[in-house]
Amino acid sequence: MNSAYPELIRIRFLMMLAYRVNYYSGIVIYAINIGAYYFLWQAIFGDTPSLAGFTVAQMTTYVAVSWMARAFYYNNLDREIANEIRDGSVAIQFIRPYSYLMVKLMQGFGEGLFRLLLFMVPGMVIVCLVFPVTLPRDPGVWALYLVLLFFSFLINTQINILTGLFAFFVENNEGMIRMKRVLVDLFSGVVVPISFFPGWLEQVMQWLPFQAITYLPSSVFTGRTEGAEAWGVLLVQLIWFGVLLVPIMGVWRMARRRLFVQGG
Amino acid sequence: MLAIDVELLQKRFVVQKNREGLAGAFKDLFKREYREVKAVKDITFQIPQGEICGYIGENGAGKSTTIKMLTGILVPTSGRLVVNGYVPFKEREAFVKGIGVVFGQRSQLWWDIGVVESFNLLRKVYRVPPQDFKRRLDELVERLQLGELLSRPVRKLSLGQRMRCELVASLLHNPSILFLDEPTIGLDIVVKTEIREFLKQLNRDHGTTILLTTHDLQDIEALCSRVIMLDDGTIIYDGSLELLKANWSKGREIHFHFGAPTALAALEQLTSGLGVQWRLDHELSAVMWLPSEINVSGALARVVGAADIRDIKIVETNTDEIVREIYKTEKVAP
Amino acid sequence: MFYGSLFWEYLKNYAKTRLTYRADFWIEVLSDLLFQGLNLIFILVVFAHTDSLGGWSQAEVVFVYGYFMIPYGIHGCFFDLWGFSERYIVKGEMDRILTRPAHNLFQVLLENMNPPSLIGSAAGLVIMAVSWLQLDLAVQALDLLMLAVLTLGSTLVYFGLYTALTAIAFYTDAPTGILPLLYNIQNYGRYPVGIYNRTIRFLLTWIIPFAFVGVYPASYFLDRPEEGAASLALLTPLIGLAFAAAGLLIWNHGVKRYRGAGS
Repeated sequence: MNSAYPELIRIRFLMMLAYRVNYYSGIVIYAINIGAYYFLWQAIFGDTPSLAGFTVAQMTTYVAVSWMARAFYYNNLDREIANEIRDGSVAIQFIRPYSYLMVKLMQGFGEGLFRLLLFMVPGMVIVCLVFPVTLPRDPGVWALYLVLLFFSFLINTQINILTGLFAFFVENNEGMIRMKRVLVDLFSGVVVPISFFPGWLEQVMQWLPFQAITYLPSSVFTGRTEGAEAWGVLLVQLIWFGVLLVPIMGVWRMARRRLFVQGG
Repeated sequence: MLAIDVELLQKRFVVQKNREGLAGAFKDLFKREYREVKAVKDITFQIPQGEICGYIGENGAGKSTTIKMLTGILVPTSGRLVVNGYVPFKEREAFVKGIGVVFGQRSQLWWDIGVVESFNLLRKVYRVPPQDFKRRLDELVERLQLGELLSRPVRKLSLGQRMRCELVASLLHNPSILFLDEPTIGLDIVVKTEIREFLKQLNRDHGTTILLTTHDLQDIEALCSRVIMLDDGTIIYDGSLELLKANWSKGREIHFHFGAPTALAALEQLTSGLGVQWRLDHELSAVMWLPSEINVSGALARVVGAADIRDIKIVETNTDEIVREIYKTEKVAP
Repeated sequence: MFYGSLFWEYLKNYAKTRLTYRADFWIEVLSDLLFQGLNLIFILVVFAHTDSLGGWSQAEVVFVYGYFMIPYGIHGCFFDLWGFSERYIVKGEMDRILTRPAHNLFQVLLENMNPPSLIGSAAGLVIMAVSWLQLDLAVQALDLLMLAVLTLGSTLVYFGLYTALTAIAFYTDAPTGILPLLYNIQNYGRYPVGIYNRTIRFLLTWIIPFAFVGVYPASYFLDRPEEGAASLALLTPLIGLAFAAAGLLIWNHGVKRYRGAGS
């Protein structure tokens, strides 16, 4: 692998460290998110012990771990790519001896790593102290969850890259980016677990990549998915990772051709 | 009356120090260290109305910071500042009505709409009465030959065309002071000349005070009666261009073209004792450097009689070289 | 008067620009509506599993949601300065703004106007009207007047809050990513605040008062006398004025610290 890539991760990590206001406000805002959803779900459950296969306790853990996972896999690569396409700086990337998309992936990973270590870990400790979160006891689940989390990042980043690349074909894809953001939050299961969706929508979700970002990994973490089924989650993620490579490559190739024809 | 009156003007920026490496970055997250940078250090100058003044200096010398304080964009750290009778940052909105600003590197026109639409919008922003606006626009359009460009969107204009439009945009409200930040950057020689001519005429006909920063000293030579030179936030020269040349120019060069091969030693022997220096380009061509205190005729007389000369050219040291020389020496001085 | 004519002039230019990119315009309108619609899905999904949320029925929560969309759409049209930091601070376009004789915030707002957002407000009105009928509430002339006043108050809350947060760009070197993070938080003001604990309720009422763009003013129209929310509704215009004033102060103070791009 090109030795520039680890360096890109490191630089982005340092860059994130430099944005102090973002760091502190991010912690506060995620705390509010988790808190608000905790109470919202408490109210939704009311006196019922379980809804859509979730107990109140599982729901609490689910909310906490899902939001923390979101902190890790979330990035703005879609907007970054779209901006670089619009201001034309993407053309320069073609003459550099590395793959532009890999560069973006690495930058996203540096950002994610920063959030994982400085955000998710301390955040999770605080959340566990404040809310009744039950953590898995089995170290195997922890290990598997970390792998799943990494694939959450990859799949979410693939979707972001794909959205960003659309800027090659439309003048302004800001609306698309915003829509994608809401879609991912809703359909990945951060806001509502997919088992709450009406039957037909739940069926549709089975055929979309979003569930592999939050819903499936978080289900493993809360212990709702166990044993062989948990490994099945990894398989689903692997499949989606592979499948999503196809449109990215296709769009990238089309974009390159377009760029060369139009001259940037 | 003074157009610009600046006294002990200072601008300091607080810049955060980034500590090195990962460990340093972690420390920065919790406790940050700051450093103060003085971009402009107590400068004082006055510009009377109707003058064209060049403001020069290397990158980072503080030119842009000064211009931005004079135009009300930045708030000075200390010092007194009166432009056109206003303190720019205090009465910003009233003040900017009387000035025009052109940033060579940045457009003030709307990217996607026709140029004339931008002009119309600016008319509203500056509250120019319609008949004044029309008269002025017609005059400027004719003078700068913008005719058919007016309906085109800015993104479809060439840099030279855009720059002429920028000038019009900054003059629609008939400002009494015009600030130009590198107005000729990136332009070809034809457009440069055109813009210089235009500015000269503007100054002559309307008495507009012009302050411009530039890296192109030909702008200065063509336009400015006065130069202010800035280095590291302080003024190192303020006066006429002629005086600058006279003070700093150390001599001139005389280029000889000979009819027959000539040796360097022979030439040096001819002028021995005069304190001139010779440089041989090749055997038929040589350059004599002459300090300014020595008479040209004296030095020439010694050579003319002794060598077969085809051609002679006397070259005054140009402003570029002088300025480069000043920058160099100022860098050495504390 | 002057600002009115400027507004009209910018609006005309907006239309001209937009007409050159017509396809984008419709994509944006569509995505904007979907964007709003997706939020409604959460409410519908949740109420498929329960009859009440903290004692509020689905129709009531949807009513609050409809109300919220009105100030949100107005905010999106006039006060959304998404990307301010990159465009005006990093790229230095603030220089240009500051050399023009009109209030700088006003100019920036006009340049970023986005009228399609108002379609969301219209959709909100429809949703509100439908739930109004479902809830069998009486309609009085006073209600319409109050709707206007409360909407104005809620819009001012938005304006103040986002102006203040956008102004952070003047105080820090790094681009701030706070605005997108805040997106989720504004949703919480749409649910009955009684369900939250004291900290979050306090936060949503007095610190980032999103309850004043959702549940408080909306409950004025709903017949829920048992809660304090309806009386807080009348505070909406005051809170709006207070936050708008604070936002302007922070902005004006921030502009003085603007340091320009580059050297």
